[in-house]
Amino acid sequence: MSGIVKSRTPGGRALTVLKYVLLTLGAIVMVLPFLDMFLGALRTPAERLASPPIYWPRDPQWINFVRVFTELPMLRWTFNSIVVTTTITALQLLTSAMAGYALAKFRFAGANKALQFVIGAQMFPFFILIIPTFFILRYFPLAGGNDITGTGGSGFLNTYTALILPFSVTWYGVFLMRQFMMSVPGELLDAARIDGAGEARIFFTIALPLVMPGFVTLGIFVFLYHWNEVLWTMTVTRTAPDLQTIPVGIYLLRGAFVEETTKSLQQAAVAVSVFPVMILFLALQRFYVRGLTAGGVKG
Amino acid sequence: MIKWLGSSKATPFWFLAPVIAFGIIFFILPLGFALFTSFTRWDSLQPPRWVGLDNYLYLLTSDRRFFPTLFNTLYFAAGTLAIGVPLSLGIAFAFTQSRFQSLWRSLYWLPMVTNVVAVAYIWIFVLAPTHGLLNRLLAMAGLPGPGWLTDPSIAMLSVILVFVWMQLGSNMLLFSAGLNNIDESYYEAARLDGAGTWQVFSTITIPLLRPTVMFVLITNLISGMSYFTLMLVLTEGGPLGRTTVTALYMYEMAFADLRLGRASAVAYILFALVFVLTLIQLRFFRQGGVDAH
Repeated sequence: MSGIVKSRTPGGRALTVLKYVLLTLGAIVMVLPFLDMFLGALRTPAERLASPPIYWPRDPQWINFVRVFTELPMLRWTFNSIVVTTTITALQLLTSAMAGYALAKFRFAGANKALQFVIGAQMFPFFILIIPTFFILRYFPLAGGNDITGTGGSGFLNTYTALILPFSVTWYGVFLMRQFMMSVPGELLDAARIDGAGEARIFFTIALPLVMPGFVTLGIFVFLYHWNEVLWTMTVTRTAPDLQTIPVGIYLLRGAFVEETTKSLQQAAVAVSVFPVMILFLALQRFYVRGLTAGGVKG
Repeated sequence: MIKWLGSSKATPFWFLAPVIAFGIIFFILPLGFALFTSFTRWDSLQPPRWVGLDNYLYLLTSDRRFFPTLFNTLYFAAGTLAIGVPLSLGIAFAFTQSRFQSLWRSLYWLPMVTNVVAVAYIWIFVLAPTHGLLNRLLAMAGLPGPGWLTDPSIAMLSVILVFVWMQLGSNMLLFSAGLNNIDESYYEAARLDGAGTWQVFSTITIPLLRPTVMFVLITNLISGMSYFTLMLVLTEGGPLGRTTVTALYMYEMAFADLRLGRASAVAYILFALVFVLTLIQLRFFRQGGVDAH
């Protein structure tokens, strides 16, 4: 899917023009809203209050991008985003690789059933798990002041654990890593066993390095998804501002941006939440394309 | 038992242990817990009280809001398909035969790497009445701009358009992968036989792309029925509840009203609907897989 695909159909010049017109129009629609946000972040309060409001900022307020960090808890949110996202990514990679390895390279009773379970579990939409998962964390025995029956305290609520634990496994990731692990030659593993290497060592030093491409792709995928995750994080941190991540913090602080004069700061915060991810993504795009095509179309 | 744990037979289970524990605590237990809760009245402050099928009966016979939310859900899912699929298919056709692919891809993927709160707050400003970007552009063309997110009759359409904007890049990728999977030799053979552009398109491209189109249609339908985060942050279900889809109704019933029993029943009814669609999908692909080859 790389490079330039030669025009397959002997279409006329009109068709070629139409093609690029369509692509350009679409691209404008994709980019224009981001530009609108960027310009908004640069407006002065006076420009916003003018009648009619001034669209092109005449005196761009670059300082707004600094104010996002000095006047809003953006540093705290960024710290939380980094802690939560890297932990989730590390956990999901480890659990996916381990389980994928077991499913691909071992014969054991129930192996087929286990694989079917992993495939089936992917089909359950998240909405059905939200309510019970919230209360399982709330009434988790012996956590956060709870006694053995799960009452008395607040469980895992208002802790990082509540943000991380329900995402410590991804069924899609297990399945993906299983597919990659299938390509690891069994003779290589057996040879290491004969040489007396332990199972954990075989996994980390032989199997894992061989599936590095899949591992990296899954890692980028998971990181991006959870960096942008909003629904669950918002549900468990509504009353815990210290744990909010960047997008959730911006959303839950919306009450502070009702006045027209404060909206430039809000748009600057939104811009700050978007641009670093875009730059990172553009740098890693190649891995991402590979992951999407590997997971998507073969279904 | 201890001897078994150290034996080679136990090895795969050591590697599976974290996933098994997770599957029990965060998958099987919640599903069972939600099913139990759906037969109770529960506000999380008092212990749950068994009420049998009352929650389901209430939702299906007396609740005036439940069926409108189902309608909104279907409207949203069908709307995203009707607008998003032809659009992304058209873009994918242009994309696969164009130069500068990585440039186009980067541009079309920008919304995909943007968090949904940013998407919502970008569009709240673009769609703002009178001085939002879209209505400014419409005014330049001499057209009246509606209140995109405030007019009850078009708010859902606006949400659909924003969602299509978000998803266009990933659907475009799936379609272009499907287009690239079509073997070049078919096109060469057609060209040698002197087939015209339209003939090649209608007799080779369209039939061979059918499995991809069906895949995108069905997966989009299922995810569209389950989706509600954009409505939660963009419109909060309004105006007049016109963008409250069933999953959002469930979420608010649970976390704003603390009607956990009834909300669980909503979750299970919606889940049953989605499940039926999933089964149809599986059936279809088992047949489609054979037909396609």
